[in-house]
Amino acid sequence: MPIIETVELRKVFRSIVRRPGLGGALAALFAPRYEEKAAVENVSFAVEPGEIVGYIGPNGAGKSTTIKMLTGILVPTSGTLRVAGLVPHERRVENAENIGVVFGQRSQLYWDLPLRESFNLLRSIYDVPRERYDENLRRFSDMLDLEEFMDTPVRQLSLGERMRGDFAAAMLHDPKIVFLDEPTIGLDVLAKDAIRNFISEVNRERGTTVILTTHDLADVERLARRIILIDDGRVIYDGALERLREEFGTHRTLVVTFARAYDEIAVNNAVVESREGSVVRLRFDRRMTSAEALVREVLEKYSIADIAIVEPDIESIVRRLYLDGYGSGDAPA
Amino acid sequence: MIAARPRRRRRLAPYWEVMKVAIAREATYRFGVFASLAAFFMRVYLLRMVWLALYAHNAAPRDLPLHTILSYATVALLMGLVLDIDQTRALHDRLHDGSIATDFMKPISVPLFFFADGTGEVLFRIILLVPALALALTLVRIDVPSPAVAAAFALSFTLGYFVGFFLNFILNCTAFWTLEISAVQLIVTWLTDLLGGEIVPLALFPAGLARVAYALPFAAMFSTPLCIYTGLLQPAQYAGAMGLQALWLVLLAAISAVLWRAGARRVVVQGG
Repeated sequence: MPIIETVELRKVFRSIVRRPGLGGALAALFAPRYEEKAAVENVSFAVEPGEIVGYIGPNGAGKSTTIKMLTGILVPTSGTLRVAGLVPHERRVENAENIGVVFGQRSQLYWDLPLRESFNLLRSIYDVPRERYDENLRRFSDMLDLEEFMDTPVRQLSLGERMRGDFAAAMLHDPKIVFLDEPTIGLDVLAKDAIRNFISEVNRERGTTVILTTHDLADVERLARRIILIDDGRVIYDGALERLREEFGTHRTLVVTFARAYDEIAVNNAVVESREGSVVRLRFDRRMTSAEALVREVLEKYSIADIAIVEPDIESIVRRLYLDGYGSGDAPA
Repeated sequence: MIAARPRRRRRLAPYWEVMKVAIAREATYRFGVFASLAAFFMRVYLLRMVWLALYAHNAAPRDLPLHTILSYATVALLMGLVLDIDQTRALHDRLHDGSIATDFMKPISVPLFFFADGTGEVLFRIILLVPALALALTLVRIDVPSPAVAAAFALSFTLGYFVGFFLNFILNCTAFWTLEISAVQLIVTWLTDLLGGEIVPLALFPAGLARVAYALPFAAMFSTPLCIYTGLLQPAQYAGAMGLQALWLVLLAAISAVLWRAGARRVVVQGG
């Protein structure tokens, strides 16, 4: 039984249309004209307990609107949703006890007080039994190295330290589901790594369901086996990360370093993607030709110093999906 | 299977914690404490100078001998130490920067959360009353009323405190729609200072203006308790005066509830 289920979820916002200039501003003030825009359009998906799902989309795709509906602070225009058996906006407080939330851009810690005080307050808000609280705090403190700055006022923490604190804060009450919104934004490589390890361990140890929205697809590659791609308020892909790579990552790049300069380079079934000095990137579709055939042709025609094959990363696959649309995934370049 | 937790009765422990945290937070700004104490001393001194100068050149009004007006002005400043606090400023701040959304993601009553936070701040500031009161008693030698009058004053002050609380809450709630409220807040501060009788007793106003001012909620904050303290109101008039305070309290609380509900609805429907 899914822990999160949405069926044809839809959210329409009404906003004032503003025409440019002072006249437009005045017109909007006295005789506003409204425009309706669907931020989320017929989004249906189901998430099983214990899954880590990457919820991915460009800015304004409807990610945070969906998250707000799942956390119960936004009422959908139509459609149904259930989170851990509850309709979130009808049972906001009970739903809040089931979920944990981390916003990369926003802290839920008390700015002026030591980390420890914020944790204490959260213990009281979520009514976590003292023993369970101590146990969780000890465990998270180990995993995230919190001890050294536990008594430092939050305003004096670095971004990495603050985010580690925020993660512990979101998990202290053993939520069934955590929503992570851009959790690694602005962090350095080490801090990103610590956070990703934490997420994957909590998920493995406690079976916590994780919904992850991020721009950093490395987060997704590292953590999620499943992704839901959303664009313009619609789901354009929902499935295994691997399948995405299989289906849409049909292009590979052959990076060739030539031993001498050629005026023109032409290889069958490959397109010159870029050319910098003697290094040329040739893109090809693995369904049209094989790397082996390509390499053989290049070796026959030219004198070569070095050669390498580059697999597409998730980022470039997703970028192509947004640019070209889901339907054109099968078309050759 | 996921069984929904049974609905629990509202626990007060979190709000108690929030209040304690707010006290601890205020305590981290020690400079602010000393600065507001210094500001208090200065205002007491300056107002005393003004009244002394005015009374030196004019005949004292019949009901307001010099020692009464000095008590009035000093007690008004003492009350201001508590009443001038915008307890629910956090609501406006969090609406302004959008973090109100995360407050709604917690299993708490959001208005109670802000109420507890503001109460903590007020409780901390009350500490300031100790040195301030000592100064008022020793240097200005304010009148000390009889225990019965003091009790009436305490009750009236409490009513006034909550009138002020809801007035501020209403202003902070308007940030649901406007996001920015500082101009309106400034106007209300001026109105409270002048029409509330915080600086000049309403008894010195022209009769028509005084009648209007007495009926407004600003007078319910300052003027009514002050008139009880200084004896400008006789015990026979207490019930009527405090009844008016209570009326404002109920009215403003009702408006607060309506505004909060509409504002929260706006957040959940329009996304803030």
